[in-house]
Formats: sequence, structure tokens, C-alpha cells
Amino acid sequence: MTRYILRRLISVLPTLIGVTFVIFMFQRLIPGDPAVAMLGEHASEENVARIREQLGLNRPMFLDRDALKAGNLPAFFDTQYIRYLSRLIRLDLGDSIHRRIPVAETLAIRFPATVELALLSMLIAIIIGVPVGILSASRRGSVLDSTTMIGSLVGVSMPIFWLGLMEIMLFGVFLNWLPTGGRLSTGIEIKSITHLVLVDSLITGNFAAFWDAFKHILMPTIALSTIPMAILARMTRSSMLDVLQEDYIRTAHAKGLSEQVVLYRHALKNAFLPVITIIGLQTGALMAGAVLTETIFSWPGIGKWIYDSILGRDYPIVQGGTLLIAVIFVFFNLLVDISYGYLDPRIKYD
Amino acid sequence: MADVTPKDVPVPVITMREHRSLWYDGWRRLISSNTARIGMLIVAVFILSTTYAHFFWDYNPKSDLDYSLKLKAPNLTPNEDVKSVHIFGTDKLGRDIFRRVVHGGWNSLRVGLVAVGISLSIGGTLGVVAGFFESTALLSVETILFRGLVGLAVGALPAWIAGQYFQAVLFAILGIIAAVFPRFLAGKPARTILFAVAGLLIGGCGLLVAPLVGLVCGVLGLVIGAVVVRPLGGGLFSTIIMRAMDIILSFPSYLLAIAIVAFLGPGLEKGMIAIGVVSIPVYARLARSSVLSVTQKEYILAARSIGEGHGRIILRHIVPNILSPIIVQTTMGLANAILSAAALGFLGLGAIPPEPEWGAMLGDSYRYLASGAWWAVVFPGVAIMLSVLGFNLLGDGLRDALDPKLRL
Repeated sequence: MTRYILRRLISVLPTLIGVTFVIFMFQRLIPGDPAVAMLGEHASEENVARIREQLGLNRPMFLDRDALKAGNLPAFFDTQYIRYLSRLIRLDLGDSIHRRIPVAETLAIRFPATVELALLSMLIAIIIGVPVGILSASRRGSVLDSTTMIGSLVGVSMPIFWLGLMEIMLFGVFLNWLPTGGRLSTGIEIKSITHLVLVDSLITGNFAAFWDAFKHILMPTIALSTIPMAILARMTRSSMLDVLQEDYIRTAHAKGLSEQVVLYRHALKNAFLPVITIIGLQTGALMAGAVLTETIFSWPGIGKWIYDSILGRDYPIVQGGTLLIAVIFVFFNLLVDISYGYLDPRIKYD
Repeated sequence: MADVTPKDVPVPVITMREHRSLWYDGWRRLISSNTARIGMLIVAVFILSTTYAHFFWDYNPKSDLDYSLKLKAPNLTPNEDVKSVHIFGTDKLGRDIFRRVVHGGWNSLRVGLVAVGISLSIGGTLGVVAGFFESTALLSVETILFRGLVGLAVGALPAWIAGQYFQAVLFAILGIIAAVFPRFLAGKPARTILFAVAGLLIGGCGLLVAPLVGLVCGVLGLVIGAVVVRPLGGGLFSTIIMRAMDIILSFPSYLLAIAIVAFLGPGLEKGMIAIGVVSIPVYARLARSSVLSVTQKEYILAARSIGEGHGRIILRHIVPNILSPIIVQTTMGLANAILSAAALGFLGLGAIPPEPEWGAMLGDSYRYLASGAWWAVVFPGVAIMLSVLGFNLLGDGLRDALDPKLRL
């Protein structure tokens, strides 16, 4: 088992290098000189030269063949991409252009907000999506089943930013029940322990703050959980339907076991493997969906920061944020792979 | 005991089913399903209305501006405040939202078609080729071609470093030689050593430039020589393609499209390309796995045994048989492309104002939600949702309709 995990970890390495390569190549997409794009049209030539030097743009992209001709082997490898990789290993994602602060630092501060939103959304999606899928599979063809199927299609077809806007319109503007943006009302202070506001306020026993934080997170969570919920309900249903046609389910019924026992003890266990895959993949994807949701609800996470940086043309932040989310995505895929071994004894590791 | 006379026993009427093609069958099942019918209706309304609007209803977004009608609520009859009828209301520049929604559909349709076209043509081709050559032994001509290409591709690196491009050609020739004489010293270490030394010599031409260049290229050439002599087959080709696809897939597709456009700069055309590129792996994977299941079938074996060429087998026997999953995916892909385009537009990365586009319309108007202008946000969003839902319903219906297992 340990060997398998190790091997999977190693097999992720080429993918990660590919990811860094793609993100590194982003800056080649900027029309014109990246240094000019960063400083603006009216930058002085020496400033442009300084930025080029600072970002290593004066070096070749991958390998310096001229250095090799001159007999300088270390300089052969001293190029933009290799420098980028060595900075990444030191967790240095570069500095924000406008604010001159390290990107990694701010990402670390902003990350918990995104995690809190994504995890809560996933939790809600699982709590609602999976049981609904099981129920509609066990009552195939019923009103509940067709409602679920249509409802889940509508859920997948819904632009989440529009759903968020509709929530703001209904609960924020017309009914005025919930706050339309932010993480906490101004004036409410919470001692940061885990940096997850909901958890922190509960640990410190600050229930007023918890209630406030809960009201803030409710709408973005509903918006973000819609798509995974719909996908989970569909997936659980079809997976359960597959399993319910198996012979051993008929045997279980024939033995006179109750419907509940057959459904939850016999069928669900085997139907859950594809569902786990979806949960893993969707949790990674949620972080990406957060760009839209966070923008609408002014949620101070990574997504909102990426959006602001796109508008401000602060490229290192866009690169850093995208890299972080992609790495998390890869990590969740890996987690799904490894969890298969624990869940399905038929899978052998060699 | 009751008397049973033969005439009491009902005789089942057995008739031969008339011959129907998969497509005819699929079509019958499609129109008998309610959800698919609704989907087709929505898609038809969407396509007809937007193409009609685009070709027969003049609209100039640049001159459409009337501040006196700024943010008026929907009205069905003219009144003293608003003299004209705006069934969806007007936006912050006094533009009729209904008109912009209908015209904006053209942009969504365009993005969907172009993006899916990109990902289907590139991804589908890659997937079919990867799947076919992974499961089929290469013909000798193909082996020679493939080895030559491998030699050229990997030889390009030392050739570039030394600045002497003839080296790449030499490496290609080395690969071809390895393919032409597969039995020469077969299975003996001497074969590998011979080719590695040849590679070393070719790379060593870098000495003409500088000693260090010669050294680096020589080492690279040694490795290349040892690689091209190995029995490289279609499996390698497939692995390379699918690895590249995995890398694209390891980004959440939304985010990758957003990031690409963020660096390229906003624009509908760039959005189309970005959305198309990020969904290439979906089609490549689907096509590959479908091909892998088809190539095991007897009719492919039959085609092969009567000596049909690989190109003909792919085009005549494989592609028609993997069409149904691809069609389903294409329909759903259209839905996803429309959704992604709307997201890009909403973030200000899609269509450039004042071009009407649903996502951009939402992005323009959502700040006026607090002042109660719900219509500017509701209608473009409903348009997105309905068109996406239409394609999803249709795709769902197609999946059921084209599934041969359900064929009766």
C-alpha cells in the first residue's frame, strides 16, 4: 500500500511539471512585451529594462545555447523556466506588480476563505445530493425520480453567477434578510485560530459572530453547491440503478431482507465508488467555480483576488492563484485514486 | 380435469421486425421522449430566433443608446413615461433588453459552435488516432515513418542547441535505419550499443561549434540513439498524446479558460479559442476509449483480414461506430461552451462592449440590482439557462436514444 501511494505520488510529478509549464507559458500569451504590459505604455525605458532584468525576461526561455558556445555550462541552464521552477520550489510565486508584496503571502491569507466556502458547499451538496440520488434510484420512474432528474439538469444548466445574482436580488434586496457580500459585518472581531471564521467563532464561543458569519456564507454556499449537488444526485442515482440490477441484490430481496437493509447495507456500499470519484473531482472544481461566486459576493478568497488581478493586469497573482488551484485539483485526483484502494478490495496494487 | 382444446390457446403473432438503421431507431426513440422533445423545441427556438435576428433584423450596438430610457421596467403597452414597448425593460444605457437578448444569442451560438468545432476536430482526431494505433500493430511503412518522426522530434533538441539542423535529419535517418533492419543483431546488446554510438557521433558534430556544445549534444545523441533503436510502437504515440491531455485536464476547465483569456486580453474570438482548447481532452479521451472498445470487434478483424488499409478501416468502420457517444458529448459540449462563454463575458473577458452578449449583459447590469433593476439581470440569465438547458436535455435524450443496448 505504501509503495503504491509512493508510486502514485511520483507519477504525479510529470503532471505537476506540465502544469507549471502551462502556467509559465501564460506570460507568452500577453500581446507585446510582458514588461511593458506590466508597467503600462508610458513606462520609461530604464524601468522596462529593470523589470525585464528583475523578472529574468532578458534570459532565454528554456536553454541558453549561446552560453554553451561560450563554454559556460551553468549559464546554459540559467533560464526563465528553470529560474521559475527553482523559485516555485522555494514557494516563491513572485511579487504583486501593483502592491509589491509577495503573492504567496497573500495567497496564504486568502486561501482559508476559499477553503471554508468550498468545503461547506461540498458538504451541503453531499448531504442533499446523495440521499436524493438514492431515493430516486429506489423509486425509479416515480414523481420524485423525474423531479430529481429534471431538477438536476436545470441545476447543471444554471450559470452559477446568475444564480448568485438571483439570490442577492431575492434575499438581499427585496426581502433584505441576508447580507449581500463580505465574510463578516464590520465591527465584528473573531480571534483567528484556524482562519475559518465559522470554526473560529464556534471554538471561542462567540455565537453572535457565528450567526453573522453564517448569514454571510449562506448565499455563496447555495450558489456554489448547486452544480456539485446536481451532478452528485445524477451520479448516485445511475450508480445505484446499476448495482440494484445485480444478482446479489435479488438474492438479498429473496432472503426477505427489508428494503432499507438491501438499499443501504448491500447496494450503497458498492454504488459509492463512482460517487467518491465525483466528490473528489468536484471539490477541486469548486475552487475554480469560486472565481465567479466570490466575485459576486465580494468573498475575500482567492477567486475574488484572481478576478481583481485580471482587471488590474497583475499577472503574477493570476499565475500564482491558478497554479495553487491547479495543484489542489491534481491533489484531489490523487486522493481519489488512493482512496479507491481502501474502498474497493478488488483493486490490487501492483 | 378441464378440457383444453387447441383453439383456446392464444397463438402469439410472430412477425419479422422490419430492418431499421440505428439512426432511424434513435430518431424514433428521441421523438418519443418528452424531455428530448422539450430540448429540441428549446434548441430550435434558440437557433431559429438568433439566426433570424442576426440576418434579418438590423441592430447596431454602437448607436443603440438612449439615456432618456435608462433602466425602465418592462412594459407591455406604451405609457406616458415610456413611449415605446420594452417587454424585457431597458438597461443602463436605455437599450431594449429583449432586442439585445435575441441578438446576443448569435454570439453564444457562435462561441458554442466554434469552440466545440475546435475541441471536436483536434480532440476527436487525436483520440481516434491514439486509440487505433494503441490497439493495432503498425505496418512496416508506418513503423518507418513513425521512427523517422521520433528521430526528427527528439533530434531537434541537440540540433537546436548546436544550431546545426542537419543533425535532426541524421537522427531521423538513424530512426529509419532502426525500423528498416529490425532483425539486424536483434535482441543483442550490440545493437543498442551500435546505435548509441552512432547517435553519439551525430551529436558530436556539435564539436564544430564549441567543445562544450559537442559534449552536451554528444550525450544527448547517445541517449537518442539508444531510444530510437528500441521497438517503439503506437503505444508510445498514444501515451504521449494522453499525457499531454492529462496535463490540460489537471486544470479546472473554467479556470484555465479564464486564465488564458486573462493573458490574451478580452475578446469573443479569444474566448472561443480558449474554451475550445480547454475541452480538447474531453473529446480525445472519449474518442480513444470508444475506439479501443470498437477495435476488439470481429468486423474490424474481418476488415483487417481482407487487407483493408488502416486509413480505410478508421474512416469506414471505426468512425461511424463511435459516432453516438461523440454526438452526445458534442451536444452537451455546446451547452458547456455557452455557459463558459457567459462566464467569461460576465467577468468582462468575453465580448467587448457594446456588443450584445448574455454574460456581458449580466456583468454590465448587476450593479444596478440594489436599485431594484431586476429585469436587466433576470432576462439575460434566463436566456443563458434556457439555451444551456435545451442542449443538455437534447444531449440527455440522445444518450438514451442512441444507446444500442436499448435497441428493440
